[in-house]
Amino acid sequence: MLVEFDLIQKAQRGDASAFNQIVSAYRRRIMGTISHVIGRPEDVEDVAQEVFIRLYFSLGQLRTAEVFEPWLYRLTVNASYDYLRKSRRRIESRMADLSEQQVMMADAVAGSRAQHEDNEKRRVRDTVQELLSTVSEDDRILLTLKEVEGLSLKELEKIYNVNENALKVRLFRARQRVLKKMKEVTGPSSFNAKDDEAS
Amino acid sequence: MQQENSGEREVRLDELFRAYRGACPEPEASANFMPSIWAGIEAREVSTHWFGSVAKALVTAALAASVIIGMIMSSMNHPSAFLNGTFVEALRADQASSLEPLHLDRISQLEPE
Repeated sequence: MLVEFDLIQKAQRGDASAFNQIVSAYRRRIMGTISHVIGRPEDVEDVAQEVFIRLYFSLGQLRTAEVFEPWLYRLTVNASYDYLRKSRRRIESRMADLSEQQVMMADAVAGSRAQHEDNEKRRVRDTVQELLSTVSEDDRILLTLKEVEGLSLKELEKIYNVNENALKVRLFRARQRVLKKMKEVTGPSSFNAKDDEAS
Repeated sequence: MQQENSGEREVRLDELFRAYRGACPEPEASANFMPSIWAGIEAREVSTHWFGSVAKALVTAALAASVIIGMIMSSMNHPSAFLNGTFVEALRADQASSLEPLHLDRISQLEPE
């Protein structure tokens, strides 16, 4: 845990400076998770602020130290879910433009190396976002927490309050859907072939 | 062959997820991060307080209205003297006012001469 339980208890009693310290300790981690889940850097800060506002109002219900981090993750998952649901249409329209973007990026390879790296990163982000758009918001978040954030099944169990087997089944199904979409998007050729094309 | 392709895709998906982690920019909070959180908290506290006050006022008004309506209803349904007597007394009172003369006439007609 990044903070002592004493600090949380102080924040529960209304100590604003203790709450500020909790936010400072977890800000980077929470923003990183949100960034991976929603895939839109420009909106990460807004969603993170929403997480901490929800934390402030639910802090009084916290009784033990060990549930604090899973709880904070649950708030993060819920806020990300709300964001994804609200912006689903926006993301879908962005995905429709993906091929055009890829063409534009391929044209831009004549630029500097840094530019090329940025383009490559953007291509990876867009590809993963497109693949994740084939599953529900719930499964998308679960898959991101497991595969990108690297959380263990035990940690996910605490966040989602469901048993490990149920999580495994959900993860397997979500992964199968993503793999199916991957087959459609990339066809028989691999991502390496796309890399060659881009460079 | 199909099995091999599926296995390759699994590996490629894992690689893609790893690459995605590196491709997402490390988000940096702006200087306005904490002030915005406190502004959000205060805004919600104000709206919660406002809703609480409105709800309290509505509950008080509803209670007052129900007391007033109850009082009006109870005064309108105040039992009359007619209803205070027993069923037999009520029947007797009714007969005394309407049927008694007819009844006496009939009795006189029926009496043997």
